[in-house]
Amino acid sequence: MDSLRRTYHDELAQAKDELVRLAAVVTESIPRATAVLLDGDLEGADYIIRGDDEIDARALDLEEQCYQILALQAPVASELRQVVALMKMVAEVERSADLLCNICKAARRIYGHELDPKLRGIIARMGEQAQQLYDAAIESFVENDAAKAAAIDDMDSYLDGLQKQFVQAIFESHAGGRIDLQVAVQLAVVARFYERIGDHAVNIGERVRFVVTGWLPEHKGAARFRNRDLTGEIPRIPSASNSESSAGGGGPD
Amino acid sequence: MTTVTDQTTQMRQEIQVSDAAEDHVHETQHPVFEVIDLNVFYGAFLAVKDANLSIRQHEITAFIGPSGCGKTTMLRCFNRMNDFIETARVEGSIKYHGVDLYDPAVNSTEVRRRIGMVFQKPNPFPKSIYDNVAYGPRLSGIKKKGELDEVVERSLKGAALWDEVKDRLKASGLGLSGGQQQRLCIARAIAVDPEVILMDEPCSALDPIATARIEDLMQEIKSKYTIIIVTHNMQQAARVSDRTAFFTTEVNPDSDRRTGRLVEFDRTKKMFSNPNDERTEQYVTGRFG
Repeated sequence: MDSLRRTYHDELAQAKDELVRLAAVVTESIPRATAVLLDGDLEGADYIIRGDDEIDARALDLEEQCYQILALQAPVASELRQVVALMKMVAEVERSADLLCNICKAARRIYGHELDPKLRGIIARMGEQAQQLYDAAIESFVENDAAKAAAIDDMDSYLDGLQKQFVQAIFESHAGGRIDLQVAVQLAVVARFYERIGDHAVNIGERVRFVVTGWLPEHKGAARFRNRDLTGEIPRIPSASNSESSAGGGGPD
Repeated sequence: MTTVTDQTTQMRQEIQVSDAAEDHVHETQHPVFEVIDLNVFYGAFLAVKDANLSIRQHEITAFIGPSGCGKTTMLRCFNRMNDFIETARVEGSIKYHGVDLYDPAVNSTEVRRRIGMVFQKPNPFPKSIYDNVAYGPRLSGIKKKGELDEVVERSLKGAALWDEVKDRLKASGLGLSGGQQQRLCIARAIAVDPEVILMDEPCSALDPIATARIEDLMQEIKSKYTIIIVTHNMQQAARVSDRTAFFTTEVNPDSDRRTGRLVEFDRTKKMFSNPNDERTEQYVTGRFG
């Protein structure tokens, strides 16, 4: 397709590519962080934690680039949606990388403690599922595939289920005297980190749907708020304008 | 338990319902103009083909599109300005409050009194500021000085020019700045109490500050008038209009000249955030494929 604004369209393409590259780093780091945890690989933990600074710096640069595009190029239509979505998605990716660091820090804290095969098995599956979610999210973005993006939410339910199973397995392991309380707490937190990485992938998928179709998927909290508003359950905070397409809440789902 | 997919579907429906409700309000009102299967010819050349749209009261409608897409030709049809071009001919119909504008029984001077026009280049008469504004009212028979004074003041206030010129009403209109001259032309247009104001790229000869004043003025006066604006500045269309019509050019099989076609007409927020037609998307984003 010919472009009348080649420089600007190149900038847009570069911004998208950079987001994809950052997300790819996170996707590749998920199995590494899992290996760090399962193998007690302290060197690997260091590598991932140090690498996070680079992700932070690049995420900041990308946000700045999007801001410049908005200020100087006044994008519209699908291009505006892309830039706005990129700014949200980069935050999801950056936070996911932080969570991987947290997994590595937890690995340091439980270093030297033996884990049950059952616990190890569920950790491996959580890692695989989180990676698949991230893969699907970023693929849907590259291919502008709203259907694939919509499927991520269902994939996330499986990860949520694994987390619940894992917490149960921690209780059993602790009750059986195979892990002490400190390790149990660290493991419960680790499970939560994987679950959150899955949520970030879901959010990326929702932004992809916004880029492709132009409407914002409703977050659960926002939907509940609207319902309450309809039933008059709580008074609504007066606002200047009743926006049709709220960006949705970032609260816990 | 509802899934995210259910919720998004529901949200989409809610948006459609609220848009439909807004449309319903407008549809129960009579549209100001209804353009039906309009073809405009210059001699044998078809300049605009098969245009259909409705202009709603007290809205600002913007026409955008590349050069030669027929947007100005279309605008000039609304007050029969094309009558002055001998070869121009119109097929189909433009209904103004249900009356066919091109019915031979319709008085074209009366059409132009009700449907005023502001041009690209400010074109005040080489007369005083006062006489520029009083010109139309005098023609329509107002002779008393008191009445004329009142109309001139009201019109200049309506065009947000009064405070700047009230002390020099006898000075020449040509001595004003470009932006002031354009507002003088708007005052001259509203002095005859029109219902519709057609604007043909009214800001293209103005600097950004003068442009902002005219855009602001358009918002102020739209509660009294219905405005149609042709603009090459897409951001201006996005800023000021309620609805936008996108025209493009199509290769004419009979000659190498291109014919204008209306591609899409919708709410401006829709046209610039998520247009239905791929050609609109390509035009507003600066891509042609």
